Amino acid sequence: MSNKEKYNKAFMESFSIEETILGESLEYNTIPEWDSIGHMGLIAELEDAFEISMEMDDIIDFSSYKKGMELLAKYEIAFEA
Amino acid sequence: MSSLLDKPQLLQKLKSFHDYVRKNNGEIGTKQRGIDLNLNNACNLTCDYCFTNSPIGDHAKDTLPLDMVRSVADQADELGMFEFDLQGGELLLRPDYLFDALEAIRPERFYFYLTTNGYFLDEAMAKRLAEAKVSRVSVSIDSFDEGTHDKIRGRKESWRRAMDALKHVQNQGMDPYLNITVGHYNAFSEDIEMLCQYSDDQDYTTLLNVAVPSGMWLKLDKMAEVIVDEKDKARLIALRKKHKNILRNIWNPFDKNYEQVLGCNTVNRLYITPLGDVLVCPYVHVKIGNVFEQSLKEISEYGFKIKHFKEHSPLCLAGENKEFITKYMSSEGQSIFNPSRAQDIFTAEDFV
Repeated sequence: MSNKEKYNKAFMESFSIEETILGESLEYNTIPEWDSIGHMGLIAELEDAFEISMEMDDIIDFSSYKKGMELLAKYEIAFEA
Repeated sequence: MSSLLDKPQLLQKLKSFHDYVRKNNGEIGTKQRGIDLNLNNACNLTCDYCFTNSPIGDHAKDTLPLDMVRSVADQADELGMFEFDLQGGELLLRPDYLFDALEAIRPERFYFYLTTNGYFLDEAMAKRLAEAKVSRVSVSIDSFDEGTHDKIRGRKESWRRAMDALKHVQNQGMDPYLNITVGHYNAFSEDIEMLCQYSDDQDYTTLLNVAVPSGMWLKLDKMAEVIVDEKDKARLIALRKKHKNILRNIWNPFDKNYEQVLGCNTVNRLYITPLGDVLVCPYVHVKIGNVFEQSLKEISEYGFKIKHFKEHSPLCLAGENKEFITKYMSSEGQSIFNPSRAQDIFTAEDFV
């Protein structure tokens, strides 16, 4: 599974949403599922999927689907173009 | 939560709570989550089932000094508690004291919420609360029928004002929680389903509180009518599965399958009265300390030495465990202002 696929899977499983919803317009609180509780679940899924432990600043900055990919670069997780 | 990413201290504590629960098989264990502070017990309504005896004016004028409110909040923050709930009585009867308390508590550190009957919560008040960094407002609704709600509450217009209040809360970007009390008397009523559906349709969160035979209901000796039975509990679980926006304090809010039980929250969420007494929860009127005499840390450590509160209970002790209710919650005159003292009712065998 590619990193992009893992990343998408974490979102889909955390929020129980379809892949079609994923994209640059997906931001915190723009769908009911991405609330505080959903945010915790998403971070946990990502930490498990990539075997990382995210820093608090990054969890706070993780405000959108797009921003999340940028932040994960810090953890040497690259996404293919 | 409307403002999670703007509250880094809260996020850190919530992450810690989430990770603890996850590693603890979805159970709350001895991880503390918050404070329920009865800021003032005066109320404008006379609800049949009030657990604080507000309708009889019990300690209506007592309040904690603001310095103590500040100290409680600081201690709760240091203990890693992420939730802070102000309740009453009715908080909005004394808005000046409420906003002074908000300044003392510094809500930016917590998932901070108010529990109110909504009667005085208009758009202007909702705006003030949002500006004070209140994250959520819980408003209790007893029925989808206006007349029924108003009769239970003892005042006309209380239903309409409560429903309007939830909308004002939502309009101001806070989390609107529609609280419903469910007991054996109404668990299967169409009314409950209609309320749940309404809350779902409005994008609110529904908080189910099981009815508890304490406060006004203790006197009416309505235990059989009040306490949910196995069929009622199954009904609540079915509602949880159907409407994904329903929470109970004993359910694991992080569980995506809507099945896991966090466990009873006694001592995990401490209840503090206007006299400073600390009870194990709002509904179990058992005192484990007083904030004028001990620190919250000492009080919590003492509370968790009592096996009933330390060990996992899949049942709400106050609303579902008949043995516990009969043994520890049925003393004559027991109330939040006349609680049983833990050292008096528990024996050495009850301590771990």
